[in-house]
Amino acid sequence: MVTSKELLNRLIDEKKLTYCENCGMCTASCPLSRAIPDIYNPRLLLQKVIFNLDDLIKSEEFWLCAWCYRCTERCPQGIQPTEIFLLTRNFAVEKGYIPSNPKKIMQEIIKSGRSVPVFEDFDDWRQDYGLPPIGTTISEKALEEQRKIMGEEWLRRLKS
Amino acid sequence: MTLEYALYPGCVASVRELGYEISMRNVFKALDIELRSFADFNCCMPACLVHSFDYKRGLALTARNLCITNEVDLPLLTLCSSCFGNLNRAKYLLDTNNDLKKDVNEILGEVGREYKSGVRVEQVVTALYNDYTLKKLEGMIRSPLKDVKAAPFYGCHIFLPGRYTKFDDTEFPRNLDDLIKVTGADSVDYYEKTSCCIGCGSFFGEVSEKAALILAESILDSASKQGADCIITTCPFCIMQLEMGQIRLKKEKGIDYKMPVMHYVDLLGLSMGLKPKELGLDMRRSDMAPLFSKINIQ
Repeated sequence: MVTSKELLNRLIDEKKLTYCENCGMCTASCPLSRAIPDIYNPRLLLQKVIFNLDDLIKSEEFWLCAWCYRCTERCPQGIQPTEIFLLTRNFAVEKGYIPSNPKKIMQEIIKSGRSVPVFEDFDDWRQDYGLPPIGTTISEKALEEQRKIMGEEWLRRLKS
Repeated sequence: MTLEYALYPGCVASVRELGYEISMRNVFKALDIELRSFADFNCCMPACLVHSFDYKRGLALTARNLCITNEVDLPLLTLCSSCFGNLNRAKYLLDTNNDLKKDVNEILGEVGREYKSGVRVEQVVTALYNDYTLKKLEGMIRSPLKDVKAAPFYGCHIFLPGRYTKFDDTEFPRNLDDLIKVTGADSVDYYEKTSCCIGCGSFFGEVSEKAALILAESILDSASKQGADCIITTCPFCIMQLEMGQIRLKKEKGIDYKMPVMHYVDLLGLSMGLKPKELGLDMRRSDMAPLFSKINIQ
């Protein structure tokens, strides 16, 4: 299996990263930058991907992106910051840097197949409103296939 | 011909937004749209979270749902805009990159599945717009919501990025405005119409919550100033952020916007003459009273 850094190079032509003109369209379009400008700035994050990747993956800030895709939609150079940040996170995970909240939600998905936990009597409640049951987890078959697709490595990383 | 979909329930919609599911089921029933259930779907595996752990295996997990849809040969219908966005993202990436498709299919082969092109993914709102059409909706309106000023809040994943969703103009979307006008209501133009609720990035406790509240306040403020009677959303994340945001703003800052927030199907249902309870409106977290008194509903 190739590492994410190789994947990053393969999927996104690294030369293309240097096409960034620093125009700031990504930051100007980013709702997070509008709300918390001191904490989140995609233009600076992109620079760190190019010049300071090893430090970037130790920080949690690049996990904040809410995936609204405005930067990717508007970048005049066709750079896709959302996909780049995704692969950067892959790299961070490989190196063992996983922030606690994403880890918790991921563990819930592994357990129940859903990102939102369902309490024991939830289906009774749904039934009161005339809605069909959904179970406390997705089907056994779906859970089993999910485990297989994730693979050993993925599950191992989330155990600690 | 009757429209038929494989219903993709999603996590947030079927667990946190029962009112939305009730509303959608009753409105679609009244429109004679058939929904079929299948047991073996998994989570849409939000790219921002799950694909962060493993790009290709994450993509395979999302694509697994498309394989099931392919087998039953029906278009997929999601309740949540985020599910819609994630599934369409996987579809786009696999349909446009043969190497990636080959790698992902190798992983899917481990559980005896294969992704084939040709699956269609719709969301409640895109299905009404693309498949049912405005023209047919017009014929279903029994009590037009005259004098109601409704502020559309598009959310992100219903139309961004354009190459995944292919739903609307990515700078000046208007499909939700047009859908609102069909109900007889006026669609309000306001500054935050195409803004983001950042619900999909809410992993980081305090920081995310702080950012979400700043944006919620700006959205509510901007819609109120344009005289909106209600905000209309397409996504269970957006509606939760705008409703919980109001509760928090009241508690933390003493500002009470009293802004009813509804899903598009709720507004449509009201204009079709369905009762608030049939639309799950008794389960909303925002106060519906100002809107109901305006349209004479008890």
